[in-house]
Amino acid sequence: MGVMSGCEPAIEVVGLRKTYGKVRAVDGISFQVRRGEIYALLGPNGAGKTSTVEILEGHRRRSGGEVRVLGLDPGDGTRQFRERVGIVLQSGGIDAELSVREMVSLYAGLYARPRDVAETIERVGLTAKSRARARTLSGGQLRRLDLALALIGDPQVLFLDEPTTGFDPNARRDAWDLIAGLRRGGTTVLLTSHYLDEVQRLADRVGILSRGHLVEESTPAALGGRDVAGTVISFRLPAGAGEPPGGPWDRSPERPDTYVLHTDEPTRVLAAVTPWALRNGVELPELSVVQPSLEDVYLRITGRTEAGDGD
Amino acid sequence: MATESASRSRSALVLAVGQIRYQILVLLRSPLGFFVSVVIPLILLICLKALLPGEPVGALPYAQWLTPAMCAFCLLNACYVASVTGIVLAREEGILKRLRGTPLPAWAYLAGRFGSAFVTAAAACAVIIATGVLFFHVRMVWHAFGYFLTAALMGIVCFFVLGAAVTVLVPRSETALPVAFGSMLPLAFISNVFFAADPPQWLHDLAYAFPVAPVATAMEDSFDPATHSWPMPVSGTLVVLGWVVAAIIVMALAFRWEPGPARAALTINSPRRWRRPGHRGNRPDDEGRRHTGRTGRRRS
Repeated sequence: MGVMSGCEPAIEVVGLRKTYGKVRAVDGISFQVRRGEIYALLGPNGAGKTSTVEILEGHRRRSGGEVRVLGLDPGDGTRQFRERVGIVLQSGGIDAELSVREMVSLYAGLYARPRDVAETIERVGLTAKSRARARTLSGGQLRRLDLALALIGDPQVLFLDEPTTGFDPNARRDAWDLIAGLRRGGTTVLLTSHYLDEVQRLADRVGILSRGHLVEESTPAALGGRDVAGTVISFRLPAGAGEPPGGPWDRSPERPDTYVLHTDEPTRVLAAVTPWALRNGVELPELSVVQPSLEDVYLRITGRTEAGDGD
Repeated sequence: MATESASRSRSALVLAVGQIRYQILVLLRSPLGFFVSVVIPLILLICLKALLPGEPVGALPYAQWLTPAMCAFCLLNACYVASVTGIVLAREEGILKRLRGTPLPAWAYLAGRFGSAFVTAAAACAVIIATGVLFFHVRMVWHAFGYFLTAALMGIVCFFVLGAAVTVLVPRSETALPVAFGSMLPLAFISNVFFAADPPQWLHDLAYAFPVAPVATAMEDSFDPATHSWPMPVSGTLVVLGWVVAAIIVMALAFRWEPGPARAALTINSPRRWRRPGHRGNRPDDEGRRHTGRTGRRRS
């Protein structure tokens, strides 16, 4: 029991469902997280991220489907399972009157083979605060303490539910370095996030959840086929300049003077548009040629499914 | 790469001892609960003694009766009130949820809480008895003191598990104290804790259907030099045991580790009850909110 071959995934989810009354919060999702991988679940509010993660953590029961973490069913709630996972909650759960060192020592005492207390505090950058009571810590420092408590048991799988929500930019960068360092140590990380830059920076693979479905799964770079689905060309054009070639161009009703085109052949389009503009003596203000950001892709994917899913 | 061998967990006893130390540390750091448990009965002892200085209870001087009665009140505060408020607060702040994600067994956490209740109760009783002996001429009845300790221990266990079970009914932190005092004070009044009243039979019967009256009366009788045998009737012992068993059953069925309204616990424990296959949910926003309650911050 619990002995796994090296190639078995750290986390395996097959047809997972979670319903609350009539609401299907998680509606048949499947994915795998390999050992040592950082996998991000990304999605808008209510997409099913927290339900999924909390089922994997053993905090909630599933309504259907199969789930394995390190070969164990989190729903069994065994101590063997909880010895081997670390959980970072979104908030709370810290005794305000205890010091950083006391909290970390307390949690170290719960595990069979904990990490060193001082080293773990050092690792999350709280050494200077190690004697400070939790109630005196800033929000970012509390989250770092949170992370220390999740790491102290030396987990093989770490669950991070929105780990940098509420962080200032410096604290976020520190947390990212820390999480990236975990990967080097071989820890498997399941991460949920609202932040696309975070996912882009940290995750090896990303799954996009929308309305309880896993609508897309890829590497952050290839998300939505972004590496092939091309380039966005846009510019403004004064009224009466005529229809530029290379189209068909999109124009939104709100900004009828702005022309937008998604294309896989930016060179051909520009080769048609710019000579046309020179010939007609018109300038193309705000001409831009960009790769769509992860955010554009994300909004396109989730927007598409929300629209296609509406009832 | 982390090793694959299944690690043996720490012995549950070690964990329980660690939890007792932890809870006592928390108690020392935020001593309000301790203060309430020790100082309120002490003030009551002094005030009631001042109000009714010469009033004997049966053949006993008033202070001889009042001192063990106030010890019973200490137990109610230290074990019942403090466990209701302490556990609800820990639950609503997410402390229980966080501990639930570690290898700590549930009972070891409760053992820690019990340890802290026990220490508080013992300290409070010691202060009350010392005050009675030093200032109010209370005589120690050593030949019955074992009965006193036994009855007190029964009270500590019973009031603690009742308090832990009552947390099931408390939806959020703000209601913990009103629920705890609101249920404890009326019972204390009819259970010979404040006055050695001679109530109508129905009220007496009602009081003896709850565990406070048998425990308090046995503790008071143990300070009577005329007591030479175990002062709690069998019926009283059965009532105390019955409440302990009932409280343990309630905890086993419905004890909650997650913050939020009671409905969430129902969803966690019996997901099938809420499931209606064939219906399509159209409010995915509800996801997450049910479990976070008022203390939960933003959820995905």
